[in-house]
Amino acid sequence: EEAMPKAPAASKAQPQVKPGTTPDARTMSAYTQKGADTCIKCHDEDSVFPVFSIFKTRHAQTADKRSPFAYLQCETCHGPGAEHAKKVPPGQNQAPIITFGPRSKLTKDKLNPVSVDKQNKICLSCHQGDDRINWHGSIHANADLACVSCHRIHVAHDPVLSKTTQAEVCYRCHTKVRADFYKTSVHPVRAGLLTCSDCHTPHGSSAEHLLIKPTVNQTCYTCHAEKRGPFLWEHAPVAEDCSLCHRPHGSVYPALLTKSLPLLCQQCHSVAGHPAVARTGDALPGGSSPPSAFLLAGSCTNCHSQVHGSNHPSGVRGMR
Amino acid sequence: DDTPKIDTSQWKCKFCAFEEPGVTGALDIGIGYVSDDSYKFGEYNGLNEKGGYFIGNAIVRIRAEDAKYWNIDINNAGLDSRSVNIEGGKQGSYELKLNYDELPHNITDSIATPFLGVGGSNLTLPSTWVRAGSTAGMTDLSNSLHPTDLQTKRKRVGVGATFIASERWKYAVSYRHETREGTRAVGSAFFFNGAQLVMPVDYVTQQIDVSASYTGNAFQARFAYYGSLFSDNNTALTWQNPYVSAAGADSGQLAQPPDNAFHQLTAELGYDFSERTRATADLSIGRMTQNQDFLPVTTNTSLTGYPFALPRSSLDGLVDTVNGKLKITSRVTPKLNLGLTYIYNDHDDKTPQATYTWVSTDTNVNSTTRTNLPYSFRQNKLKLEADYQLTGNTRLSAGFDNDKNDRTYQEVSDTTENTVWGKGKVRIPGTAEMTIKLAHAKRDIGNYEALPWLSPEENPLLRKYNMADRDRDLGSLRIQLLSFNNVSVGFGFEYANDVYSHSSVGLTASRDFSLNADMSAVVDAKTTLYIFLNHEEISSQQSGSSTATIADWSGENKDTIDTIGFGFKHTIIEKKLDVGGDFSITNSQGRVIVDAGSAAAPFPDINADFISAKLYAAYKLRDNLTLKGTYWYQKLDSTNWSYDGVAVDTVSNLLALGQTSPNYSVNVVMMSVRYQF
Repeated sequence: EEAMPKAPAASKAQPQVKPGTTPDARTMSAYTQKGADTCIKCHDEDSVFPVFSIFKTRHAQTADKRSPFAYLQCETCHGPGAEHAKKVPPGQNQAPIITFGPRSKLTKDKLNPVSVDKQNKICLSCHQGDDRINWHGSIHANADLACVSCHRIHVAHDPVLSKTTQAEVCYRCHTKVRADFYKTSVHPVRAGLLTCSDCHTPHGSSAEHLLIKPTVNQTCYTCHAEKRGPFLWEHAPVAEDCSLCHRPHGSVYPALLTKSLPLLCQQCHSVAGHPAVARTGDALPGGSSPPSAFLLAGSCTNCHSQVHGSNHPSGVRGMR
Repeated sequence: DDTPKIDTSQWKCKFCAFEEPGVTGALDIGIGYVSDDSYKFGEYNGLNEKGGYFIGNAIVRIRAEDAKYWNIDINNAGLDSRSVNIEGGKQGSYELKLNYDELPHNITDSIATPFLGVGGSNLTLPSTWVRAGSTAGMTDLSNSLHPTDLQTKRKRVGVGATFIASERWKYAVSYRHETREGTRAVGSAFFFNGAQLVMPVDYVTQQIDVSASYTGNAFQARFAYYGSLFSDNNTALTWQNPYVSAAGADSGQLAQPPDNAFHQLTAELGYDFSERTRATADLSIGRMTQNQDFLPVTTNTSLTGYPFALPRSSLDGLVDTVNGKLKITSRVTPKLNLGLTYIYNDHDDKTPQATYTWVSTDTNVNSTTRTNLPYSFRQNKLKLEADYQLTGNTRLSAGFDNDKNDRTYQEVSDTTENTVWGKGKVRIPGTAEMTIKLAHAKRDIGNYEALPWLSPEENPLLRKYNMADRDRDLGSLRIQLLSFNNVSVGFGFEYANDVYSHSSVGLTASRDFSLNADMSAVVDAKTTLYIFLNHEEISSQQSGSSTATIADWSGENKDTIDTIGFGFKHTIIEKKLDVGGDFSITNSQGRVIVDAGSAAAPFPDINADFISAKLYAAYKLRDNLTLKGTYWYQKLDSTNWSYDGVAVDTVSNLLALGQTSPNYSVNVVMMSVRYQF
């Protein structure tokens, strides 16, 4: 198995890569003589892989001992590059070097098969902590995503880290969610005021759907704390799971509801009397029956307005 | 230490373009013009009013010796959606953050109300108001009606600090203070006479995060505290009864959301047993509390028995939460990965129960008292999965989930859902990647017992869908054609099909399926294009019983949504003039069909036709000066029978707000100059 480079930051500054991945003598001997200066000779701003914007990023902060440029510079992440830097006759490929991204994953070039797992190990050798603790076995890891599937390293501003551009990165795979945010009732993602990572943590989570909190409701309460209660009179499905009535990515009905009222409520409420009655188009304005308060405007919520729970002693039925 | 000793003495990095100490940045200054008022167009972006506005954005980067830095980012300075983010410190040692955000939510400006004091917690009717038994008799309505709007605005201030204490330990603390002010609509009733009211929103939410994280070679940990404190500056909304009332019911009182708090401690641990096997464990223990003083049972002093005694003066509401997850993943052989996950979620409502006398709509003392029901929920879920690399380009995965949910005070005490799933991923090197996933789940419930305390009692045939027997099938297919000739094309298909086979009343089936395609292309060094298409159908069937026995009516919902978007970027003159555009069209249709067993008028569709077109250009005047122009057109035509044609007095027993479906056509022109320094 091909040896991996060590983690950056000199050895003692930062946790190392996993045991068993120590470079062997062969690869150790193959670091360049002049470090980044060797690489930059070819990889200037006009090359196929321009890299200079990395100098505007944290990875190029030499005063931070954890930074790749404080250690082996380009070769901290890309591994020993002496062979790769050697001149080859026209028409021949350069010797391989560790590269990242889909070209690396899917290339037909047998010289360059850096698996996603290997790519990620290099990143995780520094970034295994915090919210990456749960990366292994997470849905994105199991989908074979490389860190660089979403992150761009050689740019001044990684689009996935910016509120206004992040969603576009996620939509590349989550195409249906992009369409959801064009519905009439949505959270302000298109307006750039809210983004995917306000609710989801892409590096793995203890919750389903990679939510930032352990449950759906705890996630929703981070912005909708007024619905948390506990209330004197709880509405059981509300305390259980907001998504029983709401579609968080968008709906054609107001308030992100899953369907129109009164049918939404009548899925669970069928007591004798007015809740059990079918409401038809007859009760629309101009219909054969008088316009009905059970159907129109807020429908059930015209009277039972405290659907999220009430703390009023007389709020048993959500009417106070 | 086995770290390689590499001689880097010749690594001068003399060609490295490290950032020099100093200040750099960019400033956008300009003006925009919005052609029309529209709350829906400006729902979140703050462009709800016709007229000019100031365009102001700024990025400032300050770099100093010794890894010290500050970044200042100002967005939308001239709009209600403005934000300022400041972060800085010394990279590798500490980081400080300060941010300020405004988030408008313009809900509607199509409403009107006769009530005075809108925006406050006491709504009164004008002295000229004529109370009546129905809206038709409210003869002063047209005189007293005044237009108003519904909107809220959040303002958030956040501060945070991160300290990198050592190579392994990092500490972070952050605090966010949010105010949310404005109005929302709320329904109210006296018996069967309803009125839609404007309720004030005046909330404060504070959130605190404190964490310590440890990153070791094989062991990582994070310990955190999260606190969230909610307070509402209003406790109740009081309003005058616009209808002729039963004795004394001249006004009513609705509770506002009570102040509440949530505190949670979390530990996350990760450990590599070996190169092949990793375990992670998360545990969160939390407590939700709510103890705001109760409002009086009624404000109607003329009711027999007034004032009514309360069993306690406040709820002393208490919910303990435990959320845990244990996961072990192991590469058993180079080709076989196994995973085991156990999830535990507990929402244990320990709120004391008491028996309450209650008054319906401040009008009628109920003969039966009610006891509050502290609903508890507990989930135990076990997930097993295996992943096998069949060939270099084919991976197969399969799994089994067992999901048990317990509930208290509800019709079903426990449900069990078992899911089997399989996934295949095939890659044709350099050409395409295909992922197919199928799952089948079966949920079984124990006994379904109608709740004894409801009067009248619930239809015994009703099955609430979150605790009903259910068969669920899920499937998805994604084909990604890989960049050939710089064109990337993807196709996707997803469906979910739920059948509630033992539910004769309630939700009986639901289905969601979507088809999508997307393409992006790098035409040449000067031009890029993208296009996406999505078709989605969401449908469901339910049954009802007007006699609260066997089903005698059915309802169907069917939503169809089509979205198409495309855009381009093109360089007309290299390093001088760039243009681009983004276009999207969404047509949605919500169809409701209710079959009541006899001829009845159908519902018109709930439609929304949305078009957005944006064209932009950037012309570089000088190296550090760019002129930017944008033209943006957006149009929405929408209908919704819930609102359309429902004026304030259309319904005899509903004094409505008269809200209408949003329709707008807005042009926005923006001109600005970007100065880089």
